[in-house]
Amino acid sequence: MAPQARIGLVVTAIGFFAGIWLFLAPFIVEYQKVGQDWIDATKNDLWTGGALIAISALTLILFGAFALRDAVRVAEQEDTTEAEED
Amino acid sequence: MAKYVIGATGALLGALAGVWLMLAPFALAYQGSGADWADPTYVDFWTGLPLLVISLAGSILYVSGLVEELRRRGIMRRPYAAPVEQPQAPGPPQGNASGSGNDMEQVLLPLVTAMLKDMQERDRERDGAREGAVDDVRQTRAAGEEGSVRR
Repeated sequence: MAPQARIGLVVTAIGFFAGIWLFLAPFIVEYQKVGQDWIDATKNDLWTGGALIAISALTLILFGAFALRDAVRVAEQEDTTEAEED
Repeated sequence: MAKYVIGATGALLGALAGVWLMLAPFALAYQGSGADWADPTYVDFWTGLPLLVISLAGSILYVSGLVEELRRRGIMRRPYAAPVEQPQAPGPPQGNASGSGNDMEQVLLPLVTAMLKDMQERDRERDGAREGAVDDVRQTRAAGEEGSVRR
């Protein structure tokens, strides 16, 4: 895996945590009282935070899946090469 | 390779989310224009701005990883890499010729050689034809002399 991609993964993880922060911010910063109707800001933060969590999680999962697939292919090619050499 | 495209797409969507967060307080009008910023505006703006910057950086990193992968596989060339030297046809030593003159010489040399060969072959054919004609004349004369002797 290219070193840039590793930093990219860290960035995606930061995006994931930013989503969690947005999801919780209305209640942590207390501009949304628990038990009351949600104000527009709360709705926006929950939807945006949720979308950000979903996007980041999906990116991390798919990136990991494809990275594993590439690693398996490389290992299979190496096995084939060694078998041909023997 | 697909993993980099997925990563770049995710990072780009993150950047768009950052832009939306910065604009949302004004777009959804829970921040009055000209009024002091409320808590939701601070939260959204100061979450959106770093998210935009970080996501853009991530997108660039994923794309550079993709470009590196493409170069490693030989699909993409390095922009300023030294060109691979092509094997040149064997020819006479070039001496001190250089630049465009040298190139022109290399282009013209096989042409001139072919022309010289062609001219030499034509000369040989002409010589052969002349010798053939001279032989015919001699044979004709010899036949005439033989005929006169017979008489």
